[in-house]
Amino acid sequence: MKARARVVGALTRRALNEILRVPGAALPGVLAPTIFMLGISSVFGAAIQLHGFGTTSFRAFVVPVGFLQSASFAGAATGVNLARDIEHGWFDRLLLCPTPRVVLLGAVVSSASLRALLPSSFLLAVALALGVPFPGLLGILLAAVLVMGLAMAVACYAVLIALHFRTQQAAPLMQVGGFVAVLFTTSYAPAQLLTGWLRTVSRINPVTHILTGVRQGFVAHVTWAATWPALVSLAGMLIVLGGLAARALLRTGA
Amino acid sequence: MPPAIQAVGLEREFKGGVKAVAGIDIEVAAGEVYGFLGPNGAGKTTTVRMLVTLLRPTGGSATVAGFDVATRPADVRRQIGVALQEAALDPLMTGRELIELQATLHGIPPRQVAARGRELIERVGLANAQDRRVGTYSGGMRRRLDLAMALIHSPSVLFLDEPTTGLDPVSRVTLWDEVRRLKADGTTVFLTTQYLEEADQLADRLGIISGGLLVAEGTPSALKAEVGSPHLDVRLAGTDSLAAAREALGRFGLVRPTSDPCRVSVAVPDGASAIAPVVRALDDAGVLIASLDVVEPTLDDVFLAKTGERLADDAAAA
Amino acid sequence: MTRAVLALARRALRNVLRRPQFVAPLVVFPSLMLAANVGGLSRTTSLPGFPTDVHGFLDFQLAAAITQSLLLGGVSAGIAVALEIEGGFFDRLLAAPIPRIAIVLGRLAATSVIAVAQVAYFLALGLIFGAQIRAGIPGALLVAAIGALAGTGFGALGVMLALRARSASTVQGIFPLVFVVLFVSSAFFPRQLLQSPARQIARYNPLSYLADGMRDPIIHTVRATPVLDGFAAAAGIAAVAIALSVLALRGRLGDT
Repeated sequence: MKARARVVGALTRRALNEILRVPGAALPGVLAPTIFMLGISSVFGAAIQLHGFGTTSFRAFVVPVGFLQSASFAGAATGVNLARDIEHGWFDRLLLCPTPRVVLLGAVVSSASLRALLPSSFLLAVALALGVPFPGLLGILLAAVLVMGLAMAVACYAVLIALHFRTQQAAPLMQVGGFVAVLFTTSYAPAQLLTGWLRTVSRINPVTHILTGVRQGFVAHVTWAATWPALVSLAGMLIVLGGLAARALLRTGA
Repeated sequence: MPPAIQAVGLEREFKGGVKAVAGIDIEVAAGEVYGFLGPNGAGKTTTVRMLVTLLRPTGGSATVAGFDVATRPADVRRQIGVALQEAALDPLMTGRELIELQATLHGIPPRQVAARGRELIERVGLANAQDRRVGTYSGGMRRRLDLAMALIHSPSVLFLDEPTTGLDPVSRVTLWDEVRRLKADGTTVFLTTQYLEEADQLADRLGIISGGLLVAEGTPSALKAEVGSPHLDVRLAGTDSLAAAREALGRFGLVRPTSDPCRVSVAVPDGASAIAPVVRALDDAGVLIASLDVVEPTLDDVFLAKTGERLADDAAAA
Repeated sequence: MTRAVLALARRALRNVLRRPQFVAPLVVFPSLMLAANVGGLSRTTSLPGFPTDVHGFLDFQLAAAITQSLLLGGVSAGIAVALEIEGGFFDRLLAAPIPRIAIVLGRLAATSVIAVAQVAYFLALGLIFGAQIRAGIPGALLVAAIGALAGTGFGALGVMLALRARSASTVQGIFPLVFVVLFVSSAFFPRQLLQSPARQIARYNPLSYLADGMRDPIIHTVRATPVLDGFAAAAGIAAVAIALSVLALRGRLGDT
């Protein structure tokens, strides 16, 4: 067990090298969610005049979207890195070690969860500096858990794509999954203000619950009623996507 | 002692019905260096990938270090070291970080990781470069680091897939010395190569694969003997002694025809030991010679006889 | 020269079609954003200050999606050139007996063709989902013309970046900047409804006039001022960008 934990730790450290040793390469990913938040709130901020938002700050309403985008970008980047490792043969080296493949998957996705914290932290700092209300310690902790969990779920999806296509050229496919999952929710407006099709999609989309879970501290306060659906949705996504990714990894070479 | 590597009817068929490996039988004894020769696309790498558990066989079976590659792959991986055709290394990491990572991946206890890494880095001559990022290494340095990583857990069986492709002659010889050292230590080495000289120098036995099938197997000298005997190539000092030279050499073996009036070639089954009597016979016949060479059948001759192609041309083109 | 430009343009177009992973970001992501914007914020048409004669929010948003797509197309062109530089193919072109400017013009010719296709895609998408092009076919042609000119300009910016940076990953890093300039314009929302300081910056942002110029034939009949402003913005962007890319090419040639 300890040996496996060491393997997970070592591979996670390696995965974070890209950010630590080539900061320029990671900068766009760190800045993008903040740019998006600032842009959307600057452009569509007047929408807060519509009834139903439950807050007087459109920025506070959309900041949580930025957190989820951080998770989505981190997860997709993990898949792209895996595809690069496959193309360059490094992945074969991992497959050749005696560590169970499920543990290797754990290492890959855990790096995504840590990676997601970087753009999220930057976003939070900027949002607070611009006057977004502090969500409280519980709100922050819950947001962190949900963001890290979503990053892992998106990473599982991206790993699935990487293992299937085995090339970095599949990167847009990895990115679009998270993009759609985050945007097709109550990202810009509460459910009652959405058009029919988006209202239906957001109801089915498990990320909507995760978004609500992250948002509650920013627009109101944390309640168990809004928290448990987020946790259950996240767990469901991790089980399904993690299971599919693990299956694909175990079948590699078949 | 059971064989270190055993394959029976090993097959791999890809989508579209392409049979990259069409049923091969291989047995490699423990401590042996087995050379696996073949041109590009013959099935060498596919065979290696099946034996090291990166590809699942679609037919037949194989065991490595006593474990079935299909049913006990994790046990196989604990026993083998692999240096694949591409020295897949992370350019952002230093040599030391990479070898320590490999040690961790192979379950070497934390207390021993640094020391073991240092030992292998020094063994392959990378001590001065160990704290530099691998992205700055030359091709030869990458290969050496790749080999060190393959040896980190002291495997009983080592797979080297074209280890010297692209290396300069000095690096190539250094790697050959390392393979000889491993053999002396009792490690079984399965070596795929396109270079005939490499196979000739290193392998105890060779297997030649072509079109997914094993077309020949044996020691280098036995394989060469199958396709012909050595001959002596004599260059005369002048053309007027050709007839006398032919008559003098005729008693040693079959005189082979040549188009050059200054050359005489005679088959000598005994090889180099026939040199002295031949020189004496020519001297007695008053024949002056300019040069004398013993020409052995080459592995390329073996390859040509078994497959109809020249492997040397393929390697040069690579 | 013309022959070289056409040959290189054909080659660039062929490469785009053979690498769908470069095409996807140009249309897929803007389409998804269009869907999310329309699905989430359609009710904003009832806000005071929103043009009252707009058929629907989708009609309003089409120009934003087109502008976004054209900008991403420019970045894509830059990435393609950067990959050619990294891979050595660019040097092969430089060594060919063709005017060096043809290398850039060929790429830009391809980009303008792709730009027309991008505009056509979004207009068709809008029509499928219920939008109207009030100015009809002449309006659609005007949108395509402005879009082609702007797309050429953005392509030239991408080429300029590639020639300066010589690295595909550096050019790719520009993606977030695309959204920055887009958000501080009236591409997505009427200028009078933007928050400060975006509202102020949008006044001077050529993308505002570009987007408004393409939007007007969709939500109104053809009106001279916005359309001419759109052409002027597109032409200005194209002129400046082409000049910069020529300078960048000269700089690169000076290094070889």
